[in-house]
Amino acid sequence: MTVLAYGVDVGSTTCKAVAVDASGRRVAHRVEPTDPRIEPQVDRVLRSLREETGADGPVGATGYGRKRVPAGRALTEITCHARGAFAATRRGGVLVDMGGQDTKVIRIGPAGDVIDFAMNDKCAAGTGRFLEIILGRLRVPYEEVAEQVGRATRSVPVSSTCTVFAESEVISLVAGGEPLEGILKGLHQALASRVAALARGTAGGGDLFMSGGVALNAAMVGALRDALGRPVQVLPDPQLVGAIGAALSVLPGAA
Amino acid sequence: MILRRAQYELAGRVVGPFLASLDGWKRRKRSPSGTSRTSPFGPPLESVRKLKEIMTAHFFQARYADGAVPVAWVTSGFPVELLRPLGFHTVYPENHAAMCGVQRLVPGLSDAVEAQGYSRDLCSYARADLGSVITGRTPVGRMPRPDLLACCTNICQTVLYWYKALADHFRVPLVIVDTPYVYGKAEPHHVQYVRDQLEELVRVAEKVSGRRAEPEALAEVARKAKEGTDLWAECLATGMSRPAPWTGIDGFFHMAPIVALRGTDVCNSYYRMLRDELRDRAARGIGGLREERYRLLWDNLPIWFAVREVATLLAERGFNFVCTSYTNAWAEAGARIDPRDLIASAADSYTHIILNQDLPNRLGILRRLSRDYQVDGAVLHSDRSCKPYSIGQVDLKDRLASELGIRVLLLEADHSDPRAWSKEQADNRLTAFMEGFA
Amino acid sequence: MSRNAYIARQREAHGRKAVAVLPIHYPKELLTALGVLAVEMWGPPGAPRGDGAGRIQAYVCSVVRNAMAFLGSGGADAVDGVLFPHTCDSIQGLATLAPDFGGWDRESFTFLHPKGPARPSTRTYLDGELRSLARRLEVFTGRTLDDAGLAAAIRLHVEIDEARSAVLDARPFLAVGDPEIYALLRRGEWLWPEDHLAELRAFRERLPAGTRRPGVPVLVSGYVPEPPSLLQILNDAGAWVAADDFAAVGRRVVRGAPSAAEPWEALQERYWAAPPCSTRSADPDARVNHLLGMLDRSGARGVILQVIKFCEPELFDVPLLRRAFAARGVPVLYLEGELETELSGQTVTRIEAFVEMLAAGRAA
Repeated sequence: MTVLAYGVDVGSTTCKAVAVDASGRRVAHRVEPTDPRIEPQVDRVLRSLREETGADGPVGATGYGRKRVPAGRALTEITCHARGAFAATRRGGVLVDMGGQDTKVIRIGPAGDVIDFAMNDKCAAGTGRFLEIILGRLRVPYEEVAEQVGRATRSVPVSSTCTVFAESEVISLVAGGEPLEGILKGLHQALASRVAALARGTAGGGDLFMSGGVALNAAMVGALRDALGRPVQVLPDPQLVGAIGAALSVLPGAA
Repeated sequence: MILRRAQYELAGRVVGPFLASLDGWKRRKRSPSGTSRTSPFGPPLESVRKLKEIMTAHFFQARYADGAVPVAWVTSGFPVELLRPLGFHTVYPENHAAMCGVQRLVPGLSDAVEAQGYSRDLCSYARADLGSVITGRTPVGRMPRPDLLACCTNICQTVLYWYKALADHFRVPLVIVDTPYVYGKAEPHHVQYVRDQLEELVRVAEKVSGRRAEPEALAEVARKAKEGTDLWAECLATGMSRPAPWTGIDGFFHMAPIVALRGTDVCNSYYRMLRDELRDRAARGIGGLREERYRLLWDNLPIWFAVREVATLLAERGFNFVCTSYTNAWAEAGARIDPRDLIASAADSYTHIILNQDLPNRLGILRRLSRDYQVDGAVLHSDRSCKPYSIGQVDLKDRLASELGIRVLLLEADHSDPRAWSKEQADNRLTAFMEGFA
Repeated sequence: MSRNAYIARQREAHGRKAVAVLPIHYPKELLTALGVLAVEMWGPPGAPRGDGAGRIQAYVCSVVRNAMAFLGSGGADAVDGVLFPHTCDSIQGLATLAPDFGGWDRESFTFLHPKGPARPSTRTYLDGELRSLARRLEVFTGRTLDDAGLAAAIRLHVEIDEARSAVLDARPFLAVGDPEIYALLRRGEWLWPEDHLAELRAFRERLPAGTRRPGVPVLVSGYVPEPPSLLQILNDAGAWVAADDFAAVGRRVVRGAPSAAEPWEALQERYWAAPPCSTRSADPDARVNHLLGMLDRSGARGVILQVIKFCEPELFDVPLLRRAFAARGVPVLYLEGELETELSGQTVTRIEAFVEMLAAGRAA
């Protein structure tokens, strides 16, 4: 029986779990919306994974609900995302993780260590939530966003700092006849500039990586690349990076 | 050095004014008619052409100042009269930041300074200025490097932290005039402190400029500053007429000389001209608005990036700002200046400006202005960036409303960062406010 | 005994009036010399409640908003007066808003300490302001202050600072958590000085020096060590406070005794000798040097900068401090918050992530 390790990332929006083999490779995973009753959900998800893999193993936990994961080793999302990213890239750089309700920028050293980090988790305007709220108001499905933004001939600036203000600003723009694609492009640029400001705070150059659910939105990746003036590499399994890092932390021999 | 000095003088006396009038001529060519028929405003002031000339020349000359004459960056409440006789070219970062505000440049400048770790919650003037310093971006072409930084805490303590950051950047002497806040009445040792600091700073300024401050020169500047202050007060007083011959918004722009050129002949001759024009308009019943239906007071700094928008929104319904506590402050600041003893009178005068005195004093000023100018209502700008001006406004609003029986609106905004402003929400509030006057 | 009960006891048993004091710097020696109990008001934490809550806009710091609400709702009615130092524009405004427009109708005092570096004018002024405050307190208490009384009060506070320094310096070898250490030190914010001195001495005598504390030493610069869970979370995560620049604690511990024999000069010496603080508008180089010195002496491996949202004096210093620590290669955790009763999950995560980072750094 292969010794496996399990990693759970209990985020405020989604709960992610992975099983990794001895070399750290992902062999199974689950992603579902987070249930406020964390313990039963995590218990069910882990049991389901264990059934699939047929193997037991230690559990590493991260995310806001990490302390509620039974018998798990709890580490913050910062440490786990850095480990998960390093496992994929094998080099240092700057990781931008954009989740449902927070955004993190982590500077990772050449040996995979965390050198610095910055978080935006108090204000929706710098997170995926900003897009979610306004796209919801505009009734634009998330899957169609990247394509629409791609079609925009120009960007309509959205200047408000606050999500609530931005919502009313966008409504006015639509009512005023501005092209929807342009507004969507402007929205992405507004969010990207806030994330870029956060990234600039954690100094240093190096390669730029992206993880988190929002990384699946190509328009956001493009906007971030434009805002920072550097190429952005989206990591494989961008949503699972934290869970993978958590699992790696409990593999035998892990630090 | 001599060549540089010659350039500076040429720029100020010839080239600057020429460029300004050329610019004015081009503008007039573009729009031959005066006011459009749909504008709610009355005919524009003739004097504004001269104002633009003066300020354009001033900033144009500034580009050639460093290396030619000693340059001082000064806060708006600083007793600049003490620096004038020493030949300093004075620059007002607040004035410059206001221009950045009007032209909506502040977000970009602030981003630069936020990248260095400064919080967006700090005063937007400071962010604009520090941002301009580190990026070199400015709407006036070029700001001259200071040889001296001079701040006075009578307007706020923020200037102290802001100017320390400037001193750290430029590595030049910083003179501080610390004016203890006046609760009730200023104590003798408070006023003595300010006097002593003024004496100390003159010594430092003399060293930097390489000139001595002669008593006659100081007296002369004091006389001019007092005269300028009185002239400005006369201009403002014309607002008591019905209709007021100009708008409160005009006031915000026309105050530039009394702030930045106080104590000079240019400033005084300008205000003589402006006063005469305003009195003439008042006598002939020409208003700042086509139809003045309601008269309002404005408290706190202007919302620089939305000055015209707000003024127009109100003017369209016949509302005019006939007085403001902000423009009025410059009629009071120099009021106690006495040429016979500049140091002592400046200490007294600059300690007693509106922002350095307690709330009962502030209420008294608002009450007096409201009565003298016979206002029907007031708008108190709750300026996010300016704690000294904004703390207490909730109470001032209630007291003013109940004591005078007028409608008062507390309007949340910022003086120069449009990111702290929601146009839709502000328009909504102002419109609801105006509807209440029916 | 609760704080309010203690205040009442001081009045009954010793005839001592009580004065609430807003942050940060004030001449406590004067109050002590005149038998006035100083009760420092660093909060209260939580959302401001009561009618006073809406009188100050939301973009003003929670120290001032909460103080206004507290005063207005009678929270400070156990004391006879309030002292407002000239800390910043917001406290300056509070000092006229509450007494003049309602919210505090008993005695109010101001201590308008000078801003900027020490100059001849500043020293003369400070002497005048100290004597002026003393005179007002004399009228308030009906007592007279003489040189001997002032000198005795100064000596007492010098001893207290020595005892406080001893506790802070002994931390690497104290087998006591930070919550307990700070709970002790913070009682000095309202205890009669002699009582506080007695507690400090008793504490030191009780504890044998242990072995060196395990975990990551950090330097913390901030407003107040609140909420209590802040220190607990830090300790639980594996770190401890090795050097302290809290406005409520370390930034007011004066080391060394004044050299002047004349008490008013000694009083002024103590004012200038306090560690640099942005609210006295210290020279920024002095502040940086002071913190770097503390860093070196304590062996701290990371810095936590805690700033109350909207605090202008501190926010202007933050970039300089961050630059200085970055130049030294020392990681900084920046925490900006309100006066919370509990740490948010987000803040707990940041602290834990920071300690994980520092701990791994050592292991690598």
